[in-house]
Amino acid sequence: MLSSLDPRIARLALPDTAPAPTPKAAFDQFETFEVFHQKKDGAAYTYVGPVHAPSADVAFLFAKEQYSRRFACTGMWVVPTSAINLTPYVGDQESVYDGVSAIVPTADAPAEPQEYAIFHLKKRGKAHTNVGLVRAASAADALYQAKLTFGEQRPVVNVWVLPWNEVLTLDPADRDIWLTTPEKKYRDAIAYKVQDRIERFKLETGTK
Amino acid sequence: MYGSVSTHDIPAQATTGLENEDPQQLAEFEARIARGEKIEPDDYMPALYRKQLIRMIEQHAHSEIIGSLPEGTWITRAPGFRRKMAQMAKVQDEVGHAQLLYSAAETLGKSREDMLTDLINGKSKYSNVFNYPTPTWADSNAISWLIDAGAIVNQMANARGSYGPYCRALERICAEESFHLKYGHDAVVHMATGTPIQRRMMQEALNRWWPPIMTFFGPADKASQHTEILMRWKVKMASNDDCRQQFLDMYVPKILEIGLTIPDPNLRKNEETGKWEYTEPDWEELRRVINGDGPCNQERLAVRRAAEENGAWVRRALQAKRQAPKAVRPLA
Repeated sequence: MLSSLDPRIARLALPDTAPAPTPKAAFDQFETFEVFHQKKDGAAYTYVGPVHAPSADVAFLFAKEQYSRRFACTGMWVVPTSAINLTPYVGDQESVYDGVSAIVPTADAPAEPQEYAIFHLKKRGKAHTNVGLVRAASAADALYQAKLTFGEQRPVVNVWVLPWNEVLTLDPADRDIWLTTPEKKYRDAIAYKVQDRIERFKLETGTK
Repeated sequence: MYGSVSTHDIPAQATTGLENEDPQQLAEFEARIARGEKIEPDDYMPALYRKQLIRMIEQHAHSEIIGSLPEGTWITRAPGFRRKMAQMAKVQDEVGHAQLLYSAAETLGKSREDMLTDLINGKSKYSNVFNYPTPTWADSNAISWLIDAGAIVNQMANARGSYGPYCRALERICAEESFHLKYGHDAVVHMATGTPIQRRMMQEALNRWWPPIMTFFGPADKASQHTEILMRWKVKMASNDDCRQQFLDMYVPKILEIGLTIPDPNLRKNEETGKWEYTEPDWEELRRVINGDGPCNQERLAVRRAAEENGAWVRRALQAKRQAPKAVRPLA
């Protein structure tokens, strides 16, 4: 049995050796969701990162804990990665929209227009930021509509198109999930002030 | 937390590994990096760039998750409620950093499932310092302050690298590490300026941790073609020796000012060269411990494995009722 200095580990009575682990099955770690935060009322939603989760609701909880346990936000959006349409990336001085043209109508009956949230990346290495919503018949059409509405902005290195009906948003009534965040001062560097103690020590020991 | 993990990260091959790359794409890729632009997941990138970044980011992620174990041990026994909460917050941060880093590595094409498997089967490495135990609370404090300090030196350098998702993750990580550093410093100062018993505990912990800390950044880099390429591609941002010198510059004075001594009689700054001189760390021991023969290797992996196995039924239960999952690769 494995011995440990940690009583909690000793209690697990783990074996000394174990056979090689079987490789994990696909989706053992679930699918991914992308998370966007709003830092202040009226500010644009900005990409903060992904989470792995079995459902949008669980993704929402993980996202709150992973990306906002230190700083209170005013809003949060969570979207399955698979629902996002993205363009190729261009250079830092260019615009993705230069390569976007109107959708050629097909013989099929046009789909009912729906809303899409449009995100721009202004510089490689930075985060995608929401510029607004468009109404369009498809994700490809939404990109063209975005060009008409936001195409003047430059540079636009990359665009994400999110079907609005796939976005899980925070109900404003639930904003109190961040109510206690500012109370947890022990999580912040600023709560630790040691210089006084060091100076006192130096005086006492005559090293100052 | 992070350190230079392996002594042989970069295989010393005669070839550059670039024979199969398209020369024009390669030239554009290098020009982009030279202009100071970041590389994003869907861009063309040489196979060597992808492979080296996956290895680096994956090892970094494993170091965060294994690094949370020696400090996690002390949560229940930390002196006082406030220190318990702070220790818990720090451990939560480290596990959170692992999540960010696994995702950054996933954008390069290695699945989280494969990374977790490779950690447990020993195929992937993590920072070697976490193969040493924390027998006292003071040892946990030594990690919180000095290992995190070393990690920040490393991470600040890597945050200037060329891969967008890794930079975004590191920016977030470095912000939280500043709390770890202050928290760790506070804990060490408390012990070192406390009662004679507390001072002795802290000194003994420092004596135990100094040799691992000196190996934290890895041995001096061998001059190789790979090193030169990886520096040009902004994958490797600073030499191991430069990181070690920077760490000593910043922290030796802070250790000495609180009355602790450093257990190396040869440690001194050469005023002529401006470089620290020290007893050469025991690289043979580093090699031995990396390869499995350290005091805690077995325990660290066994604990990680138990966590995976004991949590399997929860993951199965959550999977049972959901629709077919689609994407498993984060976008950025």
